[in-house]
Amino acid sequence: MNSRNEENLKELFETFLDAEQAESCAEDVQKAEEILRKHPAPEPDAMLIANIKAEIAMRLPAKRAYVFKHIAYKVACAAAAVIFITAIGLNLFQKGPPKPNGMQLTSIIPTAIWESDDIAADDADLVIFTAEIEQIEDEVLTLQLGEDDGNGDRSVSELEMELIQINSDFWKG
Amino acid sequence: MAKSDDLAQIIIGCKNGDSKCFSQVVDMYASRCYGYFYRLTGNNDVSDELLSELFVKLVEKIASYKGGSFDGWLFKIASNIFYDYLRSKQRRKKLLDVQQEQLESQFTEPKQSDNEQIDKLQIQLTRLDTDTRELIMLRFYSELSFKEIALTRSEPIGTTLAKLHRGLKKLRELMEG
Repeated sequence: MNSRNEENLKELFETFLDAEQAESCAEDVQKAEEILRKHPAPEPDAMLIANIKAEIAMRLPAKRAYVFKHIAYKVACAAAAVIFITAIGLNLFQKGPPKPNGMQLTSIIPTAIWESDDIAADDADLVIFTAEIEQIEDEVLTLQLGEDDGNGDRSVSELEMELIQINSDFWKG
Repeated sequence: MAKSDDLAQIIIGCKNGDSKCFSQVVDMYASRCYGYFYRLTGNNDVSDELLSELFVKLVEKIASYKGGSFDGWLFKIASNIFYDYLRSKQRRKKLLDVQQEQLESQFTEPKQSDNEQIDKLQIQLTRLDTDTRELIMLRFYSELSFKEIALTRSEPIGTTLAKLHRGLKKLRELMEG
């Protein structure tokens, strides 16, 4: 950027006006500025200058303290930000126990029984119940075929009682 | 070049909080800045006050100076201080209607009775509008080029040139009339 001393007023005006007008404008400016030079403003009082310098000297330590505090706050903020980002990176803020890698399924029935086809061989109770059920089935079949000794009502009642008892025992375990 | 190198060193010293460097800046600019304020306000006491405020602002804002024309930067602060002063004066005028005429005569029509050396130029300057007066004083006391002034005022250089030419021509007519 040109300083004022290097500035050519005529050339500057010529960018907006024709050569004649530019010369006239430049002359107007120079003559008016000559008037300003001939009428200098009063100088500031020496006491005022001394007071200003004293005021500056007084304010500088306070400003230095302010600048130090400002820098300290900035550093603290930057450090906090770094720690926070690092903590996020290291999963320090993860809540609760670590998550399992996958779902694990299990059964309350032992695997050997689950996989076996011979249920009666795996459970003794089942063997007994199965035998009793088969016996009852035979008796019912006999009754239906009329192979009983004639006392059919009593036999049916007994069978029913027996069935109820078996059922009750089964659920009791 | 040597002068600008010296100034650069002084500014670095100011940024480091060296009071001697600030004193040097005060010695270098106090006269011009005082002239700027005085020609705009026409009052010694107000000019004293505004000059003090300018250098206090300099201490506060020196860290924000990022290079370029220091004169332009400093006079931009001076210009802001002047306009702030004008605004506060207008607020005062509104609040104190009774004293309106008194304040106006104090600031816009300086008199010899104020015990101040009022020259013809100061009287004629009050006939110009504030913006033109400020522009003329900025040009004269800041010693900035038109390009720098246009940049400081955030306006196209053509606008600055036209305003300044009109203002100076009018001032010359008033002074010669």
